[in-house]
Amino acid sequence: MRRLSLLIAVSALSLSACVQTRQFADVEFTPPQGDYKLLVMRPDVSVGSVTTGGMVEPRADWTETARANLIAALKAQQAERGGNVVIMERRDSLPGIEPETVAELERLHYAVGQSIALHRYNGRYLPTKRGKGLDWTLGQDAVRLGQRTGMDYALFLYAEDSFASTGRVALQVLGVAGCFVGFCAPNIGGGGQFAYASLVDLRSGEVVWFNVLQAGTQIAGINMGDIRKPEGAAQMVDRLLDRMKPGRAVRQRLKERR
Amino acid sequence: MCVNCLSVSRRAMLAGGGALAASLATGTASARIPPASMVPLIGPGYRPTDKDEVGIWKLMDRVEEEVSGSNLLLKDKPTNDYVRELIGRVGGPAAKDMRIYVARIPEFNAVMFPTGFTVIFSGLLLRMRNEAQLAGVIAHESGHFLRKHQIRQWRDMRMKTDIFSILAMGAGVAGGAAGVYTGDLVRLAQLGTILTLLKYSRTLEAEADAMGLKLIAEQGLRPMAMSETWDQLIAEFDASARHRRRRRRERRIGLFETHPLPETRRADLRLSAAEVTVPGRAYDDGRARYLNAITNIRPMLLDDQVKLNDPGASQYIVETLARDGWNGLLRFYEAEIWRLRNRAGDDARAALGYAAAVQYPDAPADAWRWHGIMLQKAGRLPEARQAYTRYLAMAPNAPDAPFIRQQLQQ
Repeated sequence: MRRLSLLIAVSALSLSACVQTRQFADVEFTPPQGDYKLLVMRPDVSVGSVTTGGMVEPRADWTETARANLIAALKAQQAERGGNVVIMERRDSLPGIEPETVAELERLHYAVGQSIALHRYNGRYLPTKRGKGLDWTLGQDAVRLGQRTGMDYALFLYAEDSFASTGRVALQVLGVAGCFVGFCAPNIGGGGQFAYASLVDLRSGEVVWFNVLQAGTQIAGINMGDIRKPEGAAQMVDRLLDRMKPGRAVRQRLKERR
Repeated sequence: MCVNCLSVSRRAMLAGGGALAASLATGTASARIPPASMVPLIGPGYRPTDKDEVGIWKLMDRVEEEVSGSNLLLKDKPTNDYVRELIGRVGGPAAKDMRIYVARIPEFNAVMFPTGFTVIFSGLLLRMRNEAQLAGVIAHESGHFLRKHQIRQWRDMRMKTDIFSILAMGAGVAGGAAGVYTGDLVRLAQLGTILTLLKYSRTLEAEADAMGLKLIAEQGLRPMAMSETWDQLIAEFDASARHRRRRRRERRIGLFETHPLPETRRADLRLSAAEVTVPGRAYDDGRARYLNAITNIRPMLLDDQVKLNDPGASQYIVETLARDGWNGLLRFYEAEIWRLRNRAGDDARAALGYAAAVQYPDAPADAWRWHGIMLQKAGRLPEARQAYTRYLAMAPNAPDAPFIRQQLQQ
């Protein structure tokens, strides 16, 4: 449900992609460092298997494993940077915060995320946002959550991964074999990762950083990662979150100082 | 849509035709499903064990969380209690497991999700004349769950897309080896696959109708009510189209529909209703129970419908509900339909409607307000004063009350 328009958005990046990320940041964004408090909104994870016909069949067991792996990887990665992380596993896992408040914020972020996808990734650029980096906000709702929880940032995370079934791989083999007789289908696709992360500054309510990751090949059976395994999850977290770039204005000032 | 399909070359047809026959077994005639043949495929407390179904259920948890927390849901307690009680009666063996939510969406629709929660739209509650009709729709949705339709459809789609992919690839490779282009043929097979998927979807809908009918009849609710729902809906579509100056609603082609055509469903339900009716048994419409349950929300339901500005449909709905007797509420909203359309002559029609509405003891305050405005426009000031006074008595705290009080003083 939450992935549709972003998927379309990212497919515009490139068709033969292997691993791609594309991030946007507020012009004044400085990656969080030192002793900051990060609230990770419950990650939306789904893992499925690609059927021979190309449909993605959700797999409950894989999804559970992947979610646990991602949470563990996220904790480890943030610990390295010195941040204090609170990960929400459910909507009601923040003491003193009603699940409805969390739900409202999740929905709001979903709508804002759609807008970012449309106007930053999907080519429908807005003249009013030109040169402004990432200029979206969740408003006072986010600020209030920050005040009530004492958190500095909120991170929204969506991840999906899928794997070609045996049938899909067999079909791919046939497609490659066909190349020898003049019918070539070497890239039927099937499986791959898609994820996005969105960082909200709870002191201002603004979405300060947004990143989309796509990893996969057009060849069914060859994967660029596997979040069902701890190292694969760590890899995804690394790809998605580890190379946060400061905003343009901040970068410029750094350059001038040099 | 299918112009291209006819230009398949003969060579191509010969090269791979045999393989495609399998995926083109569409069939055209869809037979009515006798309700007696419908037995629930699940018992109480059903939990999936197959991997694919477990996966879908898992995904649905989050969907249900989203739906159940949505601010589109109606909060009215009598309505919610009532639909819950109703699904408890017509839900068959899974009655205790199913969840039902009423969403404020002014359309005729209801949806069953794979895990057994259903969302019914407020537009449905507006249109139903009695409990038997509403129970019919809810039982139809229960039928989807009891007959495991979602997972069966998923598996059907998976199987057919699998077959199609293998055949398409096979045809391509074979064509490549033989030196013929099979693209047209593959496209034909694709159409064939889509058609069989739709066919299966229609079969499942027919199953749900049959299952639903059986469930309501078992509960002593009048079976013919389900077919009457379709009478109403078909007439409403036509009325809506007439007013939008289309000669007829869009022509639909049965082959390309996910649901059987309304006319087919109506006819099948009528035949099946005769089948499930036990001679000598008393069947009930439950009209009083139904009206009692939705009494709080009926003005809102009518208001939402009228504001769609679809005068043909709205007028039809009001008239249909008025078959059980006119009242002030229905007359008021009938007038609203024409006032909101606002074409030449509509204000006069609306004025007549407000005047008729206030004759009933249950006329809403707004009927008096608009009656007053119309009288004032017509220059009948003493009568307008009376209407306004009545309005203020009924709604002393209305947003425009100070304004009207001031007018009255002048």
